[in-house]
Amino acid sequence: MNIKRVKAIAKKELKHVLRDKVLLLLLLIFPAFLISFFGYAINFDVQNIKLSVYDADKSSLSREFTEGLTASEYFDLSVYMLSSEEADSVLEHKEAAAAIVIPEGFNADIRNGKNTGVQILIDGVDANTANIIKNYLEGYVNVFNTQAMKDITALKGIELKVPLNYSPVFWYNPDLSTTYFLVPGLISMILLITGVISVSLTFVKEKEKSTIDQINVSPVTNGELITGKILPYIALSLIDAVIVVVLGYILFDAVVQGSYLQLFLSTLVFLMSCISLGLFVSVIADSQQVAFTVGTFITLLPSFILSGFIFQIESMPKFIQIITNITPAKFYNVILRAIYIRGVGWENFWPQIVYLLIFSGIFLFLSVKITQKKRAL
Amino acid sequence: MNSIVADNLTKKFGSFTSVDSVSFSVKQGEIFGFLGANGAGKSTTIKMLCGLLEPTSGDAAVGGYSIKKEADKVKTVIGYMSQRFSLYNDLTVGENINFFGGVYGLYGNSLKERREWILDIANLRGKENTLTGSLPGGVKQRLALGTAVIHRPEIVFLDEPTSGVDPVSRRSFWELIHSLSEEGTTVFVTTHYLEEAEFCSNIILIDAGRLIAEGNSKFLKSNYITNKIFEIRSPGLIELLDSAKKLPFVEDVSIFGNSIHLMVTSEIEEADDLKNRLESITGIKLTGIEVIPPSLEDVFIHLLEGKK
Amino acid sequence: MRTILEIIKKEFAQFKRDPKMFGVILVAPVMQLIFLGFAATLDVKVIKTYILDNDHSDRSAELVREFSSSQYFRIDGYVSDYDELTKVMDGGNALIAFVIPSGFEKDIESGKTAELQAIINGSDGNTSSIASGYAASIISSYSNKIMLNKLELRGVKQLPAGRITADTRVWYNPMLLSRYFMVPGIVGLLLTVITLILTSLAIVKEKEIGTLEQIIVTPIKPYQIIAGKLIPFVIMGFISVVIVITAMRVIFGIEVRGSLIFLFISAFFYIFTTLGLGLLISTITKNQQQAMMVAMFGVMMPMVFLSGFNFQVENMPEAFRYISDFISLKYFLNIIRGVILKGSGFTDHIHDFIMIIVLGTLILAISILRFNKRLE
Repeated sequence: MNIKRVKAIAKKELKHVLRDKVLLLLLLIFPAFLISFFGYAINFDVQNIKLSVYDADKSSLSREFTEGLTASEYFDLSVYMLSSEEADSVLEHKEAAAAIVIPEGFNADIRNGKNTGVQILIDGVDANTANIIKNYLEGYVNVFNTQAMKDITALKGIELKVPLNYSPVFWYNPDLSTTYFLVPGLISMILLITGVISVSLTFVKEKEKSTIDQINVSPVTNGELITGKILPYIALSLIDAVIVVVLGYILFDAVVQGSYLQLFLSTLVFLMSCISLGLFVSVIADSQQVAFTVGTFITLLPSFILSGFIFQIESMPKFIQIITNITPAKFYNVILRAIYIRGVGWENFWPQIVYLLIFSGIFLFLSVKITQKKRAL
Repeated sequence: MNSIVADNLTKKFGSFTSVDSVSFSVKQGEIFGFLGANGAGKSTTIKMLCGLLEPTSGDAAVGGYSIKKEADKVKTVIGYMSQRFSLYNDLTVGENINFFGGVYGLYGNSLKERREWILDIANLRGKENTLTGSLPGGVKQRLALGTAVIHRPEIVFLDEPTSGVDPVSRRSFWELIHSLSEEGTTVFVTTHYLEEAEFCSNIILIDAGRLIAEGNSKFLKSNYITNKIFEIRSPGLIELLDSAKKLPFVEDVSIFGNSIHLMVTSEIEEADDLKNRLESITGIKLTGIEVIPPSLEDVFIHLLEGKK
Repeated sequence: MRTILEIIKKEFAQFKRDPKMFGVILVAPVMQLIFLGFAATLDVKVIKTYILDNDHSDRSAELVREFSSSQYFRIDGYVSDYDELTKVMDGGNALIAFVIPSGFEKDIESGKTAELQAIINGSDGNTSSIASGYAASIISSYSNKIMLNKLELRGVKQLPAGRITADTRVWYNPMLLSRYFMVPGIVGLLLTVITLILTSLAIVKEKEIGTLEQIIVTPIKPYQIIAGKLIPFVIMGFISVVIVITAMRVIFGIEVRGSLIFLFISAFFYIFTTLGLGLLISTITKNQQQAMMVAMFGVMMPMVFLSGFNFQVENMPEAFRYISDFISLKYFLNIIRGVILKGSGFTDHIHDFIMIIVLGTLILAISILRFNKRLE
């Protein structure tokens, strides 16, 4: 490999990138948009959920039950219903996301040791939100039960202790901040998308304009050409990563707990796999349009859905779990979270590094093979 | 009858003036050559005349319509063949013809007739289903010309139609242009092959956006060149060229293949006189010298050099 | 009309020559459908669990059985001390680890309160709080069982206080499958991708290869170019919508409960917006690469994120909610989800429908005005 030739190509490519202001702007603004969007707008906490209540009992205990809910930041009382039938139309017209119906005799039953059923109705159209609401409300009922039991036994003078006390301790991210969790995932998503798409486009573009022929007749080897062309994009990708890390820190206090060196090195390994994927796309695509569409298709959705970025992989159906292995982002996410949130070292994520290296190897090999086959034709 | 009358046509891109107050007129049915170096403003002028660009100031009448106010009407009377090949490479020959025919509102028998005509002139009979991208350059150009005049326009603009085409194809392409002109179509053509300009009935030359000469080829040669031009052969051609440039009785000198053309001031009349002077001053032996009639190339080099 | 038809014919002839593109357009929606339908769920179904049992008693074993027999907790292993537990947590192998203290059984039998600690990997705040909630509810019902047993032993037949049982019903989507939410949304997403991205390329591609010049010098009217270039994408968009709706039935068994006609009419007006935006991008960008980048990352992603496609707009800060009011995809998604899941119709969506028409017409009008027939 001749360093001078590589340098010449890299310089030329860098000029292309720097001259294309729109592209440059997008490569820089896109990560900033994503981080602020996910940081500010995405929140899986239940917050200000519109709740409607029908209290048929109108007792002190039933009021205590509703007030416990509406006084929290999680729920806002939107409609105070006058009959249980109203719940239908309240949900239908989206006046509330959930409705609670407290039956008559609520207070009396509980105090007499009888069980009583509270109806919880949830709009299930958005299953994810509905699930969160459901979990929250059922958890609330649990807590309320324990408290009521304590209060009433004390009132009746029976000495009874709750046999088990549950105390959860949250490690690594004690505030359970969603942003902290999303920042590493964003880095991998941005790097994968910009890496694969820009690399595949830059090669297809030369192919389309047949400037590649000009380079092919020169003494430049394939290795030099590829290295030279991708260097500027590696630099840009790293800048993107730095933007996300810095913005994550400034805006959301997301601190890198582990080693920056390990973060950097594993990022390079990940970039290698992005680039080999990008090369592969450029080899199979003949036009920019196809390259872009294929590139977007194999990066955007998988890095969003299949990488464990937001959605837990263990809970997916088995065959989807197998498919998740196609995206290098899945493995990089594991690495990033280990370094970023848990602050741990190599020993905890070396299998992922190995996987990424194998992944790059396979796609580089395929790209070379297909290119050779095409030339032979 | 004039097909095109340009009146102080000017186009500025930001602070750069691409075309600067150009005026000329083109008669109906003539082949009008529009010459100039790359970047002189030829394409910009053509694009204005076709209604693709709006003039910054000035106006032109094309087929009697103002390009400023009636660009839409201009488009009904013109055909245009751009510098870049602009048919669809990923469509077949037949699909391209049908498409452009359709865009010009041709259908049924009239479309069929024109399609046959285009296939004839481009030698593409029986090849309607060939992908356009796979045709050789010369054929592509003829197809593009045919498509550009599919609607029998009064005026056709050809922007460097023969660049990158081999000499044989170029010759037959010009025969095509002549036959169009004979049928009464005004042909407005830009080229930088000066021998092609000889085929034009009228020529204008622009440089840096300004019109610097106009007239037919005979007029240009006699009007702009009054002095004699000598063709000189010598084994030391390059040295001769360099030293001749500095001589007071030499106006222009330029290399043409394995000879140089040298224009002298009016004091020199005879070949022998020149030969003696050159040989004695430069010490380089001349192997041949003769007076030649000026070519258009000589005229233009003289005009462009003279300006500097 | 004939001119427009010619352009449409030409566009389809070009599609035909680019079979790869065609494949992508047809295969992509079905793949997206499967991914989004099966994978995009915030459900926590499997919780990787480790146990540190310092008591080794019948009670501790019973507690572990309570967890393992629940549908969520998967006991992946036992650790013997705190160091080992830390290693398991650091390696990311456990989401939750229960620490059963020594004296656990003794405390319970002697009527004291036994402390049960759970160490939870809080990285993913949402998942960990859901997991913690599940744990709390299992522990509390186990705790009640113990209490009831003890009272029975003392001859008390009934707990001193009754319990509230939550009778939860989820409407429209009783199984709480997120695919019911996601899959109909894909109809909207797909229509956006095809009409927006492909349209954004439509003009700029011809600009790049130089054929646009050849078309502009013809007496063709701007509206003819626009209509001729856009109608093919409308057709492709509708074809893919039909594919997705069919696949939705076949793969996920989701039926359209409401009126398909209303759905298609809304879709028709919705694509005014995407075609308009695509056209605008195509007119202002210089080359295909720029157009694709702007369309994808500058327009499409913000639009999807702020439309409530996968994230609730109601939970976002005010600024984002304000922007989302101008995103017609939001209104279109309301209609799609309403029609498919709830069987609602025009009367339920008058507001959404009007917003789609207003925004669509406005954007398309602006972009048509911006598209002039000169080269500049």
